[in-house]
Parts: sequence; structure tokens; C-alpha cells
Amino acid sequence: MIRLQDVTKVYDGGVVAAQGVNLEIEKGEFVFLVGPSGSGKSTLIRLLLREELPTGGDLWVAGKHVNRLPAWKVPLLRRAVGTVFQDFKLLPSKTVYENVAFALEVIGRPRHVVRQQVPQVLRLVGLAAKADRLPRQLSGGEQQRVSIARAFVNRPLILFADEPTGNLDPGTSVGIMRLLDRINRTGTTVVMATHDHAIVDAMRRRVVALERGAVVRDQSRGVYEAVLPFPEGRDEEEAE
Amino acid sequence: MRFQYLLTQTVQGIRRNPLVVASAVVAVLVTLVLVFGSIVVRWSIDQDIGRWDDNVRVIAWLGDVSPDQVFAMQREIAEWPEVDEVVYFSKSQALEEFRELFADQPALIDVVQDDPSVLPQSLRIKPTEVGNYADIQNRVAVYPGVQQATAAGEEIDALVVRSNRMRTFAVGVFIVLGTAALVLIANTVRMAVYARRDEIAIMRLVGAGNWFIRVPFLLEGLVEGVTGAALAALIVGLGHKPIVQMLSTVADPDAIVVPVQFLLQQSLLVLTFGAVTGLLGSALGMWGTLRD
Repeated sequence: MIRLQDVTKVYDGGVVAAQGVNLEIEKGEFVFLVGPSGSGKSTLIRLLLREELPTGGDLWVAGKHVNRLPAWKVPLLRRAVGTVFQDFKLLPSKTVYENVAFALEVIGRPRHVVRQQVPQVLRLVGLAAKADRLPRQLSGGEQQRVSIARAFVNRPLILFADEPTGNLDPGTSVGIMRLLDRINRTGTTVVMATHDHAIVDAMRRRVVALERGAVVRDQSRGVYEAVLPFPEGRDEEEAE
Repeated sequence: MRFQYLLTQTVQGIRRNPLVVASAVVAVLVTLVLVFGSIVVRWSIDQDIGRWDDNVRVIAWLGDVSPDQVFAMQREIAEWPEVDEVVYFSKSQALEEFRELFADQPALIDVVQDDPSVLPQSLRIKPTEVGNYADIQNRVAVYPGVQQATAAGEEIDALVVRSNRMRTFAVGVFIVLGTAALVLIANTVRMAVYARRDEIAIMRLVGAGNWFIRVPFLLEGLVEGVTGAALAALIVGLGHKPIVQMLSTVADPDAIVVPVQFLLQQSLLVLTFGAVTGLLGSALGMWGTLRD
């Protein structure tokens, strides 16, 4: 579903955000990308979304060779995935319903599809009753649910989440994680960048730890901190 | 769905910044009124020139020259490259013409009839091109047997100069104000892009096609360009008459009627210019802001 091969990203000015990253994520997996700020979690997601091109290496997402994709096909890649951000990125002048419907409308889905899919996904995220509210009338957790609904309404194969609980209190975060877990159970691959220890430790899913752009740990059913006394040990990748 | 969406976006874009949009429309309007106006005025000047065109003759007034000599002269002058044809006008033909021209003034005719020497014989030389008349006039004037060479040329010169000036004016206006209009449209589009930048970011994120994102902005520029052009066409179409009449050399300005067909043709051209300006302006406005 997702494959990275020797992916390197060096920004202008010499900041290395990814170096020699090799990673394979199967369909239906739930993967945490963990690591301190600046370790390259967000860069990986940006590379996978083709918001940026790698300096070296190759990426495949949903059968598409991302770094070789011609510009006009980039929208097709983005339609195959959904993305959720820390800051929700909702349109303040549109209602909950309109925000979610917008994602379908702008990729040219016919109206009857929009009318059918939007209420369905709003029920999934538990906001069917608040469809007519504006984002500012919602709590942070509710706003993130809207943003997840928007990312999922087109039934993507993969859901990327970049610090989705970063702005939320722990209680609310649990609700968001339950929702992402539920989405994962429908067969959607979920890749979530986070530095929320509690969540990672509680979920016990695959953990890919990054440090200065490099993968330092890849562990199935892992926790946030490496349990080994030598966290820099790179040879402890577990077989999937 | 798509069509309706694009249309709604376009209308919203225009509503968002009515003053800026108005300034762009007015810029197009002023530009095209001046350009279209000069096209129409130039047309009427060219009509004037055309009226002269067929009638321009250099007249070589001859002294007492024998018919044989006249015949020889006629043949020689006809061979000049700048000469189209040479027609001999005898005294009696001259008298005939005079009678026609001054039919309403019998006193004059009486005078001429009494003394035919007043109207000498002449050669009427038709130039191949109107502009050549002066050369011919100079050459003929020194020809043996020619007493005087005249031509109704200065008026034409003035008209040709005026026509060319009109063209220069139109081209100048088109370049200077056209550029201004282009930049103003680009500005409105850029502001619209800026106002919608969050929306655009999300459209990209969820995989909206590039053209789907661009088209509303292109349409916005198009609507502005075409609106300005349509108003310009309307203003010139309805209001050109006084200006054309003022600038005409024809004795009876009321007689000048710019044909509707010509106006419609040129209006179409003006609308096309407006549309092209609008689209180019949009493209300019989006330049660098809506990259992939």
C-alpha cells in the first residue's frame, strides 16, 4: 500500500528531514510515526502526499509512483488518500455538512452521491445532529471529527493524520483515536504522526520512530519510548 | 453540478470585491471606447478619402498647343509609371462641365460663354495612387506647353495624415490603457485567489483538478473583460455620431451614417479583445499563485 525506498529529503539550507528511509506499510495497517519535533514525521507525510518531492529515493502510495507522478495526476493520488491535520483546516464560513460535502463537490461527485455519502459519514463520526453548525460553534474534538469526516467521505484507501490530537485534551483525544481505530477496522490503512506518548502506548500498534530524518525503530505492537537500553540501536526491526 | 459550482464561484468572486472589479471593468471600458471610437472615426475619414480617391486628378492647363502636340503629350504622360490614365478635355468639354457645375448660376455661365478663352483646354491625369498626385503635379508643371498644373491634393493630404494619426492614437491607447486594464484584471483575480487561499489549499488536499480550481478565476477575468467590452461597444455604437460628424470634412455631416454592419463587425472584434484581455489578465493574476 505504501513503500518508501531510500527516501532522502534535504531542504534548501541543508536541513535533512529524511535520510535513507525504507518503509513498507501493508493494506489495513495502523502505523504511528513517532519522534521529537523536527524528526521528519510531517515531512514523510508531505512526501507521501506529493506536497513535496524527495531529494532522492522513491515512494509508492496506493499503486502510484509518487515522485514520478506527472503533475496532472497528483489530484488522483490525493483522491486515493485522506488527510487530517492538527489544525483541522475547516472552512469557517461553511457548515459541518458543507465542509464535508465540499470535498466531494470539488472532485466532481454527482449531487446524489454527495447527498448520500455526507450524512452517512457524519453519522460515523457522531456529528449527524450538528450538520448545520459552523466550525466555530463546535468544540476542538468535534472540529477534528468534521475534518476526519471530510478526509474519509470519499472512502480513501489510506488515511494520513498529522498530529490529529495535538490540539486536543487527553479525554477528547481518546474519542478521536477510537474513531481512527474504527476507520482502520473498515480496512483503511491509517498512518498517524504523533508525539502523544499516552495514545501510542495505549493503542499498541506498529510504531515507526524517527530521529533526525532516519528510522531508528520499527516495531509492531510498539510503545512510544524504546524499551531497550540503547534507543539508537537500529537493528531491532521486527519482522512483520 | 460542476457547471453550477463554477458559476457560483465566479459570481461570488465578483461580489467579494465589487470596487476592485468595477475598476477593472472601467479600465477595459475606457480602453475599448477609445480604441473602438478611433476605429469608427478612422473609418469615416477613410470614407472621405475614398470619396476623393476616384476623383483626384492633376489638371494640366494647356496654352495654345496644337492637337498633334496635345496628342503626343497625352501619350507620353500616360506612360509615366505613376499615371493611371490621361484624358483630354477640350474647351467645349470644359464649357460643358462648367455649365453642369454652375447650373444654378446662369450669370457666370453667360460670362464664360461670351469668352471661351477663360476655359482653356486641359489634360486630366489620374494617378495610380492618390498619394502620388504631388509628384505628377510637379513634373507636369514644367512640361512644355503646360501653363499651370493644379490638383485638389492638400485636403487629401490632411485626411491621410488624420487617418494615420487616428491609427497611431488607437494603437497607442490600446498598448498603454490595454496594459493598464490587463494589470487591473490580474489584480482582481489575484485578490480573489488570495481571498480563497484556504479553500484552494483544501481543494488541492482533497484532489480537486487543477482546471477545476483555475476555471472560476479565468471566468471572473473573462466576465470582467467582456462586460467592459460590451459597455464600450454599446457606448460607441450609440454615441459615435457627433464625434464622427465633428471630424468629417464632408459638407453635410448629417449624411454620414456609419453602417450598422460595420459597427456590429467591429463590436465583435471589441468583444473578442475584451475576452482575450480578461483571460490574459486572469492568467497573469494566477501566475505563480496557482502552481501545482
